[in-house]
Amino acid sequence: MPLLEIVGLTARYGAGDVLKGIDLAVEDGEIVALLGANGAGKSTTLRSISGLVPHVAGRILLAGTALSGLKPEAIVRQGVAHVPEGRQIFPGLTVRENILLGGSNRRGVSRRELERDTDDMFSLFPDLTRLERALGWTLSGGQQQMVAVARGLMAKPRILLLDEPSLGLAPLIVQQVFRLIGEIRKRGTTVLLVEQNAHMALSVADRGYVLETGSLLITGRPDELWGNAEVRAAYLGGKVAAA
Amino acid sequence: MSAHAEATPILARHPATRLASRWRGVPGVVIGLLATIAFTTVAPTQGYILNVMMQAATYAIAVMGIVVVLGYCGQISLAQAAFFGIGAYGVALGTVDAGLPFFAAMLLGVIAAGALGLILGLTTLRLGGHYLGMVTISFQVIFTLVLTNWISLTHGPDGVPHIERPSLPGFKFLAAGNTYLGLCIATLVVITFIVWRLKMSRLGRAMQAVRDNELAASTTGIAVFRVKVIAFGLSAVLGGIGGGLFAGAFSYISPDQFRFDESIVLLTGALLGGVRSPFGALLGTVLLIVLPEMLRVLKQVYLVVYGAAVILIMVFLPDGMWGLIANRLPRRPLAAGPVPKLPLLTRTGAASDEIALEITGLAKYFGGLKALDGVDFAVRRGTVHALIGPNGSGKTTCINVMTGLYRPTAGRIALRGQDITNLPPHLRTRRGLARTFQNIRLFRGITVLENVMIGAERPGNDIAGQPAAVVERALAALDFVDLRNEAHRLVGTLPYGHQRYVEIARALAGSPDTLLLDEPAAGLNPSEKHALGLLLRRLKGHGLTILIVDHDMNLVEQVADHITVLNFGRRIADGLPRTVLDHPDVVAAYLGEPRQDAAA
Amino acid sequence: MSILLQLLFTGIGIGAIYALVSLGFVLLIRAANVVNFAQGEFSMIGAYLMVLLAIELDLPYLVALVIAVALMAGFGVLFAGATFWPLRARGQLPVIISTIGASILIENLVLILYGPSPQVLPGLFEAPGLQVGPVFMDSQYLAIIASAVLLVSLQYLVFEKTLLGKKLQATSQNQEMASLLGIPVATMVLITFAYSAALGGLAGILVAPLLFVSVGLGPLIALKAFAANIIGGYGSIPGAILGGLALGIVETLGAAYISVPYKDAFAFLMLLTFLMVRPQGLFGEKIAEKA
Repeated sequence: MPLLEIVGLTARYGAGDVLKGIDLAVEDGEIVALLGANGAGKSTTLRSISGLVPHVAGRILLAGTALSGLKPEAIVRQGVAHVPEGRQIFPGLTVRENILLGGSNRRGVSRRELERDTDDMFSLFPDLTRLERALGWTLSGGQQQMVAVARGLMAKPRILLLDEPSLGLAPLIVQQVFRLIGEIRKRGTTVLLVEQNAHMALSVADRGYVLETGSLLITGRPDELWGNAEVRAAYLGGKVAAA
Repeated sequence: MSAHAEATPILARHPATRLASRWRGVPGVVIGLLATIAFTTVAPTQGYILNVMMQAATYAIAVMGIVVVLGYCGQISLAQAAFFGIGAYGVALGTVDAGLPFFAAMLLGVIAAGALGLILGLTTLRLGGHYLGMVTISFQVIFTLVLTNWISLTHGPDGVPHIERPSLPGFKFLAAGNTYLGLCIATLVVITFIVWRLKMSRLGRAMQAVRDNELAASTTGIAVFRVKVIAFGLSAVLGGIGGGLFAGAFSYISPDQFRFDESIVLLTGALLGGVRSPFGALLGTVLLIVLPEMLRVLKQVYLVVYGAAVILIMVFLPDGMWGLIANRLPRRPLAAGPVPKLPLLTRTGAASDEIALEITGLAKYFGGLKALDGVDFAVRRGTVHALIGPNGSGKTTCINVMTGLYRPTAGRIALRGQDITNLPPHLRTRRGLARTFQNIRLFRGITVLENVMIGAERPGNDIAGQPAAVVERALAALDFVDLRNEAHRLVGTLPYGHQRYVEIARALAGSPDTLLLDEPAAGLNPSEKHALGLLLRRLKGHGLTILIVDHDMNLVEQVADHITVLNFGRRIADGLPRTVLDHPDVVAAYLGEPRQDAAA
Repeated sequence: MSILLQLLFTGIGIGAIYALVSLGFVLLIRAANVVNFAQGEFSMIGAYLMVLLAIELDLPYLVALVIAVALMAGFGVLFAGATFWPLRARGQLPVIISTIGASILIENLVLILYGPSPQVLPGLFEAPGLQVGPVFMDSQYLAIIASAVLLVSLQYLVFEKTLLGKKLQATSQNQEMASLLGIPVATMVLITFAYSAALGGLAGILVAPLLFVSVGLGPLIALKAFAANIIGGYGSIPGAILGGLALGIVETLGAAYISVPYKDAFAFLMLLTFLMVRPQGLFGEKIAEKA
């Protein structure tokens, strides 16, 4: 049984159908990339999983348990951590406090244990150590991304949803972030990654799905997708053969 | 125009003429006034019932003020009782202490109310709505303080007795109860008419636009601050008029009658009846005056009930009782009739090298985030120019800076050679710039036609000030997007794709020179996108300059003559569509580059 | 000079009251974007509860105080449920109007129960006060200042040192993100309402011995809270506190040197002046709406 299973997901944003019945599966320990141009419905897919967007039809199952209809707070307790688009670091809290709060979904855990786990995060992200007491709003995009991922991992999730981690980041930083994602996978965390930067995503993923205006276009392994002219056309139009 | 001459017989029944007629509602007023005169002859000259009716009439006038400022313009005023009091004290002190004739004293009171309203409005209305609420409560509290303590001027807590009604020498009967009641009701009839007509006037539409979507109102050419100040000033004046008549009605006033409690009574009356309609105001006032008079014994309880009523109305009945009725009434579609085509479509203008819109060195920083980092490009007249780039590249920020919603950190924006870098949004619209929004900003409290009319009557457009022509232009714009039949509906009832077209029609109705479309295809299905592409192609060749931001590359390729690509707030490519889309930097920006240390 | 010092002391005392009420007001703005026009009524109810508990039921003063504050917290939750919760998706204006309705309802309910004549509430201490140099420090003022300092310190400790405090801050800063982390946002908002009501109630209890307990207390204190917030900077916590203190001092000096009956008008004048000259107040920031 896949860890995360989505069947026939239909969701609405505004008055138009944004997702028109998509099927998706993520196995335990995988990194799966969800690709497509802007407006294709990638973020909406993640937001449906984490409960921020209600879905009109379809099923979302985490290891067999239905997530449909649950509130975000309940879904994160089931083990789904969502690192949203734009990172959403709490601007008035320090880096340490931001990361600490990542454990808010874990019931019955002591403050001391949370502090210990936060220390662990700093060893996983050594570049953040000197920023421990910096306030959220002072951080650069790349730093915020690291804090956001660390905060997501604090939830000890069964699956981590990463929404456009490369958004607005300089190419060098993007490299660092994706190196990090590789590290996370080594720790055994399952990741569903939404990215516009297809190349980057496919270089780290085990499998990919490509969405186009709310429907699934194609799915396969990175090498299968990369050479595919349809994928390129989905982003850049033209419907021409790959250059 | 020859088209008008030919169509004259049809025009007489034409919806445009009917809607825009100067005489609309006038027969109603005349009937109302005649009825008032008739009523006066049978009305009591004194006694309890007379008092209740006079109170209802004068309060209703004040409640009309709340309809204007809150119902039409969406600004919360909690000082209506204070303005009512200023009018009342104007009459009282003017006639009793200064010996002025009644109407002169009333004029003074009304002017004082209006002036104070303007001062409060000017200081507060640049800020958010709750500021006005706080300031008006404070003003109300201080007003009561002054009334009670400035004894030499206001007679303090004792109040002012012996206020005389207006009378002409030899015509004593004019001061009689029933005649004075007739005066109050007649004033109410006229004011109701004015407030009703206001709603369908250009100013009224502007107020409603400000209420429904302040941001879109400013980009549609409305001077938002000025409109708010006028609305608030008007409400103060109406409060003053009601108060002046109130003083004459009861011939004795005291500070107790103009406290914060009374502001709440007036507010509740407006909400209960339906704050967006003058008829709702009438209904609500009658209910709120008549009911507690019947429950006179429970004086304190009725205020408790008012308080609870306000909460319950907000939760369960936001449109008030009049809303219950009015929302049930079916909306009639407008009669069919030909309208002249959009002038936009009848002119021809090929693309030229003249530059319609140019930005140089444009930068916008949000704290440490550099959304735009020095961008240059020029949009040529009569072309369709696309601005594209991956998510977060700065495209929407660019449009927002160009239309005046953000101030740039650096750089210059020129519209047909004129520097508009620091102009507020409505002045850019005045110069022929129009835009649509990514997340559709329509005015949801008014009809499709009214939305498009607001676009048509933007300052600087050739037909501003000609009501019939405005309606025609709006209908023509709706014709262009094939939504003429939906003109009478409230925008919220339309499907998403149609709402998009209404927004486009609103922009086109203003005959803009330069049109900025921010992700017009967002949320549209493939066939709708195709239709949009066709629509945009139809606009070509008429001299209209279009700048379009979108992600759908097929649409962009379909319509664009020229493409500029942004990434990380900088321009990375600029040129002909296929060249740009094949450019390796652009491909890399969208699809990304391989990881440097990856094992492929 | 000694008069000036005396006035400063009094001003700080009154300012501390305003600071407490403003604090309750600004916390609701931050946590739930609610502009609570009934904030003053919290103070009024608190004072009346003390009259009920300490005078009518003759409970010992401190016991009555604790019970009254606890009841106020409960009232805050009730208030949230009635005026805020049903309207939370409808925007700011309906909620504002709803809180206005609530303030009228509360005021007149109390008026029915207790009538218009002011009640008398004794102060915390029997002793009249201490003479410190040229300044006579009235014991009630000392109680007010001490309570305010204690409360603000306690609040600072909770916000900065406890996990709950962090969660409350997170909820104010980004509600959606907080819920994505599993923070129970609804509970956080209710806690803020409870605390805000308790703060208001406590402020009312502390100031009552100086002003008499009457229904008119509500709108008057609300006016001061608004003014303090705007002066200090709308939406800023240190702004609320410092704005309150500044207001108290200016008001007291104004009453002494300019005019007593118009004492309350100074708040209004300061409010208007700041709106004209420096609308973002001492510590505030301008907020821009994005397209």
